[in-house]
Formats: sequence, C-alpha cells, structure tokens
Amino acid sequence: MGAVHAEWTKLRTVASSGWLALAIVALTVLVSGITSDVVRCPGSCSADPARLSLAGVMLGQAAVIGLAVLLVTAEYSTGMMKVTLTATPRREAVLAAKSAVLTAVVLVAGTVAVAGSLLAGRLLLPGNGFDVAHHFATLSLLHGATVRAAAGSVLYLVLVGLLSLGAATALRDSAAATAVVLGLVYVLPLIGDVTLSPVWQHRIERWTPMDAGLAIQATRNLSRLPIGPWPGLGVLAVWAAAAMLAGWLVLRLRDA
Amino acid sequence: MTATSYASAVKPGRDGFGSLLRAEWTKFRTVRGWLIAALAVAGLTAVGPIWLAGTAINSTELCTRYQCEVQGQAVATGPSGAAVTDQFTFVHQPIAASGSITVRVTSFHGSSVPSLPPGLHPAPTTEPWAKAGLIITASTTPGSAYAAVMLTGGHGVRMQYDYTHDLAGNELVSAPAEIQWLRLTRSGNTITGYESVNARQWTTIGTAVLAGLPPAAQAGMFVTSPAFSEPIGSGDDTAGGPTRATATFSQLSLRGGVPGRSWIATGLREATASLQPVHGIKVRRRSASGDSVTQTAGSFTVTGSGDIAPFEPLVDPVRFAFIGTLFGLITVIALGAVFITAEYRRALIRTTVAASPRRGRILLAKAIVVAAVTFVAALIGAAIAFPVVEHKLYDQGWKPPVWHVLALTSGTGLRIVLGTAAIAAGAAVLGLAAGAAFRRSAAAVTAVIGGVIVPLILAQLLPLSPAQWLLRITPAAAFSLQASVQRYPQVSYICAPYHECYPLAPWTGFAVLTAWAVVALFGAVYLLRRRDV
Repeated sequence: MGAVHAEWTKLRTVASSGWLALAIVALTVLVSGITSDVVRCPGSCSADPARLSLAGVMLGQAAVIGLAVLLVTAEYSTGMMKVTLTATPRREAVLAAKSAVLTAVVLVAGTVAVAGSLLAGRLLLPGNGFDVAHHFATLSLLHGATVRAAAGSVLYLVLVGLLSLGAATALRDSAAATAVVLGLVYVLPLIGDVTLSPVWQHRIERWTPMDAGLAIQATRNLSRLPIGPWPGLGVLAVWAAAAMLAGWLVLRLRDA
Repeated sequence: MTATSYASAVKPGRDGFGSLLRAEWTKFRTVRGWLIAALAVAGLTAVGPIWLAGTAINSTELCTRYQCEVQGQAVATGPSGAAVTDQFTFVHQPIAASGSITVRVTSFHGSSVPSLPPGLHPAPTTEPWAKAGLIITASTTPGSAYAAVMLTGGHGVRMQYDYTHDLAGNELVSAPAEIQWLRLTRSGNTITGYESVNARQWTTIGTAVLAGLPPAAQAGMFVTSPAFSEPIGSGDDTAGGPTRATATFSQLSLRGGVPGRSWIATGLREATASLQPVHGIKVRRRSASGDSVTQTAGSFTVTGSGDIAPFEPLVDPVRFAFIGTLFGLITVIALGAVFITAEYRRALIRTTVAASPRRGRILLAKAIVVAAVTFVAALIGAAIAFPVVEHKLYDQGWKPPVWHVLALTSGTGLRIVLGTAAIAAGAAVLGLAAGAAFRRSAAAVTAVIGGVIVPLILAQLLPLSPAQWLLRITPAAAFSLQASVQRYPQVSYICAPYHECYPLAPWTGFAVLTAWAVVALFGAVYLLRRRDV
C-alpha cells in the first residue's frame, strides 16, 4: 500500500499529470461534441449514434498514452527509478502500484470524459436526424447497450493506459514508447480503413487494439460487426496483458 | 608602471552558422541510436508500401466488390490510351475535311432526378457539368477523338476536346438561360470553336488539332448529363444516380456535309441498337434511360445522359500503398523530438546555449540537420518502394487504361517520392519544434502525431465536409503529395477521404504542412529565448 501511496504522491506532484488528465477530458469531449454536431442522418443511415457521440475517445486516448508513458519513462530519464526500486525492492510491487494509480486516474478522467461526450451527443444528435422519427432512441443510460458503450469506453481508456504502461516499462524511453504505442493504436486502423485487401481489413478490424477495442462502443447492427463488443475489448485486454508481461519481464531482468 | 589591457593569445572561435550546423551534425551522427533510427526511417518507408501493395487484391475483384466502374458509366479507351467516359445522345451527319456547323441553343435544362432516400436535398435541376452543344468526332465509337463547343449547366460555355482539354468561353454570356449560338469549323485536322449571342459577332473560344481525324468525320448536336452523387451521413455513405438533360436546338446549318444525307441520332452506349424512324429522323435508340430525340419545325429536342470526359477511378492504389510510409513517419517524428529533448534530459542544452548564445540559430541549425537527414532517409526508402509498388500493382491488374503505370522518373512518380521525403522533413521539424516547446519527448511525439496522423483517422469517421475541412487545415493536408490519380476540374466527383482523396492540390497541401512547421519553429524559438535552460 505504501508503494501505491508513493506512486500517487509522485504523480500528483508533477504539473504535467494534471494537464494530461485535463487533456483526456478536454480532447474527448471536444472531438465527441464536434462529431455529434457535424454528423447528419437524412432519412436512413448506417451510423451508430452511441459510437458517434463517443468518437472523441479516439483522440482522448492519446493523452492517456502520454500519461501512462510518462509515469514510467520520466523516472528513467531522471534516474528516479533507482530511488524507487531502492525504496521498493519488489519490482512487481512497483509495476502494480503504478498500474493501480494509473487505473484510478484514468477511471476518473475517463468517466468524466465519457459522461460529457454522451451528454453532448444527447443534446446535439436529435437535431441532426438521429431522432425518434428516424427510429433512433435518444441516448440514455437507461438503455443497456448505451451503458455498455459508455462503461466500455472508460474500460477501453484504462486498457490503453495499461498497454502504454507495459510498453513504456519495456522500452524505458518516452519517445520510443510513445511512437510504438501510437503507431499500434493509430496507424494500423488507418491501414484497415483504406486497404484494398478485404482479408487484411478483416484481420485489422478484429485484432488491432483500437479497432477491436472500440467495438465496445457499438449499439446497432451487432451481428454485422467484425468482432463483438466484449470479445473486441477482450482483444485489447490481451494486448495490454502482453505489454504488461513484457514490461514486467524487462523490469525484473534488466538493471534499472 | 602602466597597466596594459589583457588580450588572450587564443584566437576567438568562429561564430559562423556553418560551425553551428557542423556541431549539430556531429551530435546527430555520434549517437548510435539516432543513426539506427535514420536507417529505420529508410527501411520502414520502403517496406511499408511494398507490404501493402502486396496485400492489394486484384483490381477486377475490387471492381465487383466496390463497383469501381462508378456511376454506372462504361469505360472506353481514349485517343491517348487513358480510360474515358463517352456517353451522349448525338444527332449527326458526316462532315468533309472543310466545313462548319452552326446551331442556336434555345433551351437547356436538367430533368428527372434519380430516386433518393427521403429527406435528401434533390439534385440541382441541371447538373453543373451537363453539356449541350456541337461536336465533331472521328467516329461514333466510344473513345474517339473529338472537339466540341457546349453550354454547361453551371460552368458557362466551354470548348472541350480529346477528353482532357477544357477551355472556358466568354463568361459574359455564360448563363444557360441566354439564347446561345455555337459554331464549330473544320479545316483538315484543325477545329475551331466559336460562340455568339446574336449570330453576327462571333468570339473564338479555342482551336483543337485532332491527330488522325478521318476525312469523313461526324458532326452534330449532342446532349449529356453526368451522374450525380451526394454524401450522406458519415464515412462512405453516398446517394445518387444518373441524371438527364434536355436541350432544344434550332436554326441548325451544316456546310461541308454530304448532300441529301439526313440527321441520324445515336446514343453511343448501345451502338448496335436498331434504327427506328421517329418524327422524320432516324433514331438509333438506346433502351435504358429515356434518352430521346424529337424534331419539330426545324428544331431538335435532344435528351441525353452520361458524360464526355476523362474517367476518374475512385480508388487510388498508390496512395493506399503509401499509407505504409506512416510507420517511417512516426519514427521521423520521434527522431525530431528526441534531437532536442535528449539535450534537456542530459542538460547538454546548457553547453549548447553557452557555446552559441544566439538561441534562434541553434534551433534553426537543428531543424536543418534533422530535416536533411530525414529527407534523405525517406527519399531512399520511397525511391526503393515506388517501382516495386508499381510492379506489384500491375501484376494484380492495376493497369491501363483505368490505372496508369507510373515510372519513378515521371512527373507523378517524382512528386510522390520527393513528396514522401518532403513530408518526412516537415514532420521532423514539427517534432523538433514540439520537443523544444514541451521539453519532453512523450508530449512532443503525441502532439505531432495528433496533428499529422490523427486527422486522417477522424476524416474517415466524419461527414464529408468537416472531413475535407480537416484535411485542408491540418498538417495532414500534405499527404495529397502521394496521390497518383489525376483529377480534372471538368469532372464532378466526391473527393472522399474514404477513398484517399485529398481536397487540396499536392503542393498546396505541402504548403500547409510547411506553414505549420514554420509557425511551430518560430514558437519554439520564442519559448527557447524566454525560458532558462
């Protein structure tokens, strides 16, 4: 428990943490709000209102990644890591404490961000054709699928954070870790979007962290998704677990 | 004893910009990790596109899946060997090597909008590129050489020839509502287009030289109207379909025709359909879309559908493959950021600033070094990738007439390869500037990737107009440099990010990235001057 407290103190007393937590909320709500404002559904469309209103999670996760990476690499760049490991020789405990603190912060920031996004969607989407007349229910947390999309989006952000934490612990360099995680999260789906290969499109939609993980936001036409909501989030969880495992191995086997 | 002022015997060190550049280059080349990163940029820039080109499916399979023969228009091969759309309703006669044809267009309007989902705005009554006018064409075979003068639905009077050439007429008499006289004269292979409002004063629009025009070419009136499509919702949802236009021609006169020949009507889409007499003229009728020709008291009313224009495929396979350069680009951004944040981490920045107190020049020297290194690395990678990508795409059926095989040394080939390198250099400078501003690589890399790559993802999700707006103002506009499909202004198409189309012209898009890089660099210089190191 002391390790968790120490990690919390370190996180709390660095100015960048507060800014990044704020950025999680601001970027998510901003992009979600803009998306809800500009989309149109004239008559019939295949769009999913829950997904549209939570679109900002795609940008907000960049701040989560920054926060998670800095939690580890900032210590390596200043030599603080040696102090941390001297104080807490059990390295698993350090990694676990960092994960716990990160999870708590992202849970709070993510919940605020998702709530703000849904509220913006609820206010803006009905005016753009996503109304009862076009067979769209108003976004509401009384609706099971919307709850899954909302809670799942918060979990998505937490898992992306853990994936980044694991990668940063393994790579120890903030530029390298950020580049690798952002490449994994952003570039692979982009290839899936434009690919001229249906086989690769299907693979990317099913098995890459962002495409699979964000399947949790789907509330319509679930049978036509490349991967279901919970299995998709499961794929992301496997990515996060693999990254944490790599981070744990490196932390255990290498000198700090 | 008098005091003498002390002067050091050591000669002052040179304070030139050259030495500063050399110092920064020495820093770069002596860090092993950075050299490896530069090599990785070259390698990833080559491997990414080659891998993606290898995964592309056969183009014929793509056509069945994604209906690449968009808008239901058949593709013919034009005089230059490139794919063209060539569908129109044509009322014609042979014309000799010397002659002219003149007509008055008394009305021109669009008709019959395709069925759309409820709630969609109907198409404009006349499509902007609907055309009605005079044409002289080598034959009625689709893809023949031609020259034409015409009224258009929204672009005034034009003269067009051989599909890719488009000349604007006099803007003053451009409104389709005005009574408009049009004339084409033929002298051998040379065809000149004229317009007039009163049939007395004629204005020349332009002259076309059509190679290999046979002595007995076909001259006459034509009407056509391209397909309309409108984006709905988000992503690639579009609605639309073929449109028709109707024009009334009167006071038709032909010089250089064959005496005694009557006017023949042809819808080029089905040249084999049977001849039927309608209202005293022979009509070769198409079955599909209600195109028709009627003649009453010296005037012809012609309805047509289609287009006479270059064929523009929706999909851009080269740009698709070059999405693979993003792996290298991420490395470039990280390299640019680390080139300055590493100095903060090791406090080397203090030595650097002590050695060269003019801080703006430090950042400029760093920018030049990192831009030059990443430019060269990406150039090598792209130059290796491009011919291999072209070869792989060709093998999978991405070939003429619809898709051009581009040589590395062709204009487009050079633009794509140099453009990829230029994007890398711009992104490296952005990374450097962000690194200097944030002093932390994680923040710098995230910010630059957020500005350069994330807009590409958001553009896939947003509806068309905000998506295009995003790709105009963010640094991602520069990816237009990697476009391989030539776009002509005289063809209506939806420039959808979903199809890897960028709203800005290639070098205009690059100018947006450059502007961002320059502004970011100035901002970083400002912060570096203001702050303690």
